[in-house]
Amino acid sequence: MRVVVDAAACTGHGRCYVLVPELFEDDEWGHSSARGDGEITDAQRAQAERAIAACPERAISLVE
Amino acid sequence: MSTDAEQQAPVGFFEGAPLTFDRAEGWRYFREPGEVYQRDGIWFLTSPAAVRFAHQHPEIFSSAKAFDNLGSPVPLIPLAVDPPDHVRYRRLLDPMLAPRVIGAIEPELRRQVREIIGAFVHRGSCEVMADLANLYPTQVFLTLFGLPLDDRDMFIDWVRTIVEAPGSTASDGATPEAAAAGAALFGYMQGFIVAKRAHPGEDVLSTILALSGDDAWSDEEVLGLCFLFTLAGLDTVTASIGFVLAQLAGDAELRRRVVDDPELVGPVIEEVLRLEMPAPFTPRVVLSDVDVCGVSIPAGSFVFLVLGSANRDDRDNADDIDLAQADRGHLSFGGGIHRCLGSHLARRELRIVVEELHAMIPEYTMAEGFVPRIHWPSGTLHLTALPITFPVADPVTDPMGDPVGDPVTGRA
Repeated sequence: MRVVVDAAACTGHGRCYVLVPELFEDDEWGHSSARGDGEITDAQRAQAERAIAACPERAISLVE
Repeated sequence: MSTDAEQQAPVGFFEGAPLTFDRAEGWRYFREPGEVYQRDGIWFLTSPAAVRFAHQHPEIFSSAKAFDNLGSPVPLIPLAVDPPDHVRYRRLLDPMLAPRVIGAIEPELRRQVREIIGAFVHRGSCEVMADLANLYPTQVFLTLFGLPLDDRDMFIDWVRTIVEAPGSTASDGATPEAAAAGAALFGYMQGFIVAKRAHPGEDVLSTILALSGDDAWSDEEVLGLCFLFTLAGLDTVTASIGFVLAQLAGDAELRRRVVDDPELVGPVIEEVLRLEMPAPFTPRVVLSDVDVCGVSIPAGSFVFLVLGSANRDDRDNADDIDLAQADRGHLSFGGGIHRCLGSHLARRELRIVVEELHAMIPEYTMAEGFVPRIHWPSGTLHLTALPITFPVADPVTDPMGDPVGDPVTGRA
């Protein structure tokens, strides 16, 4: 299971990397991307869903 | 007689909104007629779906013509710029206001707020808007832009005059007072642009002026950015400081929870941002006929995205503060390409104010009998005043290390 940030949709609100820094990181522009290859464990799924719900742009999704 | 005519003039739909004392009632008033509707020549988009649609389609919902009524003699950059030019500005500006940059100046921002609080910590009472909320965001702006902090009060007067002008919520042009204040601000900034081109500092203004080649900015572009920062970034943060502290001062149990658990500072700020919006109406001009939630809006229409209503339309008990739901977010910083450029700075300022206030004054309450109200109608919504009272700090443990209390009683 991977968490994916749609770079075209992200406008840098920064909620995901503030709330769930273990899964997301900010760049020089304050935009977000998934850490590493975005692979998450089942235990991290709730955290990923927290970020998905918090994203004002609906830019984050889970890919099986 | 003109005064009679004014008194008898029917109050318009917009101005008639019952927002002064109760935003729950006020935002319901805007939501009830529908998701998308027209009143008095203005279109209102009030649901999360309608607002998001406008955010996602800046090529239809133009920002470029939507801010002409403010007292700015230059286009507000990058807010009043449409694609494709818009991306050029944000590519350069976003890094200057990214979280990591703000983190670097946080110690100085904390020092300044402690100094402001230190001026009233021994008084036992203060008026939050005048003594704290009006002062701090302007100081932060002056600090970021490398301008003298001594100019703070002059700046505050200009901005207040511009944003509180009666015409600033409608599309009927700037008032003479707002235009005069706009001209004064323009001249002031122009002087510093010349000075900083000659002698650059380490500030945001110098950084922009130092851009060269294809990235170089004209003086007019720099002035447009300065106007945006002052018109969008000062009064809004002032208002939010007032709203956050009003919530805490009016709810002793909530305040104690937040003082005891600093992890709750962020959730409280997010929930107050959702419920109490300084800039709840985003103006746009529709460039081509468009269908939104099944309603046709013709080209040329003036539109308000009613963020205040949309924020209360996505959950049960949406009018109540719910710290457990704070992660679910809100539209208070807008969305799409015009996402508030200063959102990271605003959130940091709010967090710093609450944390430093609680370190120095953990117990405070709204002055007895005071009924908070907002200035309405207005372009930005803020409390007219917020008097609070608190136990007087012991001068010996004063974090400013500068006892000013009466030597006999120990009271300020």
